[in-house]
Amino acid sequence: MKAQHKRLSALMITLSMTLLLSACGGGNAATNDSAEPAAAPEGGAVKLKVYAQHFDEDTKGPFDYAVEELKKEMPEVEIELDSAVQDGNQKLKTYAATGNMPDIYFTDWATLQTFAKSKNVEILDDYAATTEYKASLNPGVESRLIAPDGHVYAYPDTGIEFQLIYYNKTIFDKAGIATPIKTIDELAAAAVKLKEAGYVPMSIFAKEKWISAAFYNGLVTREEAAGFGALDQQGLTELPQAFVTAAQQIEQLQQAGLFDANATNTNYDQASSQFYQGKSAMFVNGQWEIYSSAEKLGDQVDWMYWPAKDEATYEASKYYIDGAGSPQGYAVSPASSNKETAVKVAAFLAAKSAEYKYTQLGSPIISPKTDKPIASDVPVMMQRVADELLPSAKEYAKLLSNTQIQNAINDNTQNLLVDGFKAQNFVDNLNRTLGKENK
Amino acid sequence: MNKYLGNKPALALFLLPALLLYSVILIYPVLQTVLRSFYDWDGLSTASFSGLANYRELFSDPLLATSLKNGLLFAVVLAVFQIGLGTILALVCANPKIRGRKLLKTAYFIPVVLSVTVVCQLWIAMYDPTNGLVNKLFELLHIPYRQNWLTSPTQSIIAIAFVNAWQFMGYQFSLLYAGVKAVPEDYFEAATIDGCGKWRAHLHVTLPLMRETFKFCFTIAITSGIGAFVQMLIMTNGGPGTTNYTLTFMIYRYAFMESNYGYACAVSVLLVMISLAATLVINKVFDRGQNV
Repeated sequence: MKAQHKRLSALMITLSMTLLLSACGGGNAATNDSAEPAAAPEGGAVKLKVYAQHFDEDTKGPFDYAVEELKKEMPEVEIELDSAVQDGNQKLKTYAATGNMPDIYFTDWATLQTFAKSKNVEILDDYAATTEYKASLNPGVESRLIAPDGHVYAYPDTGIEFQLIYYNKTIFDKAGIATPIKTIDELAAAAVKLKEAGYVPMSIFAKEKWISAAFYNGLVTREEAAGFGALDQQGLTELPQAFVTAAQQIEQLQQAGLFDANATNTNYDQASSQFYQGKSAMFVNGQWEIYSSAEKLGDQVDWMYWPAKDEATYEASKYYIDGAGSPQGYAVSPASSNKETAVKVAAFLAAKSAEYKYTQLGSPIISPKTDKPIASDVPVMMQRVADELLPSAKEYAKLLSNTQIQNAINDNTQNLLVDGFKAQNFVDNLNRTLGKENK
Repeated sequence: MNKYLGNKPALALFLLPALLLYSVILIYPVLQTVLRSFYDWDGLSTASFSGLANYRELFSDPLLATSLKNGLLFAVVLAVFQIGLGTILALVCANPKIRGRKLLKTAYFIPVVLSVTVVCQLWIAMYDPTNGLVNKLFELLHIPYRQNWLTSPTQSIIAIAFVNAWQFMGYQFSLLYAGVKAVPEDYFEAATIDGCGKWRAHLHVTLPLMRETFKFCFTIAITSGIGAFVQMLIMTNGGPGTTNYTLTFMIYRYAFMESNYGYACAVSVLLVMISLAATLVINKVFDRGQNV
C-alpha cells in the first residue's frame, strides 16, 4: 500500500512538473544566439527552410521559377517551402518568439524593424551578395534595399509599388465624362454624373485602412511630393497645408458621392467585383491590379493620374508617384545553421523572382535589373507604366516610419469616407498625434 | 467516506495536479501579464522596465474613452436584450398552456450554435445600407428611416451589440428558463390563490426567487460586453476609424499591429480589473437584502 502510495505520488509530481516546465518553456531569439551553429554538411545537401508567399499564381510563379533556377546554380541547396499566410506576419513573429525562425523569410519593413531590435534578422551590409545586389539595382529603388537606418536587412524583388486610379472607359463614355480627369472639381462632377447614371462612381475596399490612406496620399503628393514622408520630422506638430488641402478634397469628393455609402465596410473582393461587373466606374488599388483588370475588362479599363486642385498643379505633379519604397524582401535569420549559404540563396531568390516578374509578367516594377527580354504579352496598361510613367517619374513618396502617425492617418482617412466626419476633425486629430510624436 | 476526506496528505496529493494545472493555465499568464505591463516590450526583444509609464500613457490615450464607452454600451445592450427579453420568453415558455413551447425553445437556441462568422456575415448583409433587409423593411413599412448601420459613428456599436445579443440570447434564455423551472410551483400557486394575477405573481414570486440565476446572467452579459471583440473585428474591423474599438480591440491593435506588448498588457490588466469590479458590483447588488 505504501509502495503504491509512493508510486502515485511520483506520478503526480512528474505530471505536475511536466506541465509546469512545458508552460515555462519556449523562448525567443536570444536563446538561439547562444546556440552553436551547425556546420553545413560536407558534400551533402544544404537544407534551407524558406518562408515565402506561395498561395496564388502571382506568388507561386516567381517563387517556383526562382527555386528551379537555384537548382541549376546551386544544386547542393535544397529548399523546403513554408508557405506564408496573410496574417500581418503573426506566424513569423511567433516563429521568432519561440526560436524557430526559418533560414530565409520574406517580410515587410514593419516586421524587419521589430526583428532588427530583437536580433532575429541578419544585417546583410557586409556580404558580397549585398554588394552585387546594390550594383544590380534599378535606379531610384535604393530605398527598397537600404533601410532608413542605413542597413540592409532584406533583398527585395519588386521596385517601388504605387497606387493608381483605374477607370472603366465604356462607363465614362456612356455617362459623357471627358478624360483625363485632371482636377478634384472634375472628379467630383464625374461622381455626380455617374451616380445619376446609376453607377457607384468609385469602388474602394476601405474596410482595409491602408487603401483609404493610399487614396489620401495620392492627393497629398500633388502638392507634397514626399507624401506621408513629409510628416516624419522632429518639430513638425501641425499638418502642412498640402495635407489639409487633401483632407478637404476627400471631404468634397465624399459629399459629391464618389464613394459607396458602405465604403468602410467593403472588402477587396466586394469592391473589385463591383468594378469588374461594371457596377462601378472607378477602382483604386496598386499597380499590381493591372493584370487582373486587364484580364477581366480588357480594353475597357485604363488608369489615370491623380487629380489636383487645378490643371497647372496637375501638370506639374503628374509624375510624383504615390508609393513609398520601404525595405522588404527575402531576409535571413541569424540563427540559421547555414547562414552564409542562406544569404547567397536569399539574394538569388529575390533576383530570380524579379526576373520572372519582368520576363513572364512584363512588370517593369522590379528592384534588380535583368538583361533577359520580356517573353509574354504585356497588358497595355503595364506598357503605359513602362513607357510613360516610370521614365518620367520625378519623385516617389517617402516612407513614414512613425507607426503612431501612420495609424492616425489610417484611422482618420477611413473616417473621411463617412458622412459627418469633417476635414477639420481630421486635421485636429492628426495635429494631436503630430504634437505628441514629433515634439 | 469521512475516513478518506480526513486524510489531508491524500487530499493535498489529489488536489495538487488540478491546482498546478489551474496555476499554469490561468494564474501564471495573469501574473505574467501584470508583470509585463510594467515593461516596455515589443514581444520579441529584451523587455526594459518602465514602471508605470504604460499606465500613464493609457490614461491619456483617446482610444481608452472610446473603448470604455463602447464596452459599456455593448454591455447595456446585452443585459437589456438578452436578460430582459430572455426572461419574458422564459416565463412564457414555462407556461404549460402555451402551445409549441418545444419548438420555441429550440428556435431561440439555434443562433447560439451557429458560428460567429456566419452570424456576422448574415447581419452585414442585413445591415447593408443599399440592399440590406433592415433598411428594406423600413422602406416597406413606409418609415423614412434608412441608415448606414455599420458606418454611423453613433449607431454602429449598438447595431453590432444587437448582433451579439441576438446570437446569444438563446444561451441566456436557457439559463433563465432553468431558473424559472427551479422555482417551486406551489409558491406561484399560493400567490395566485391569494389573488395575484399571473404576471404579478411572477413579478413578486418567480423573479425574486431567481436572484442567483440573474446574478450569473448579468455577470455573463456585462463581462461579455466589456470584453467584446469578434463582432467588431468581423463586421467593421473596429472602424470607421476607431469608432467601434473596445478594450479588447485596443489589446489586439497594440499587441499585434503595433508590436507594443507591454502597453497591450497594461490594457489587459485594466480589462481584468474592470471585469472583476463589475462582477463584484453585480454580486453586491444581488446579495443585498438576501437575508432579510
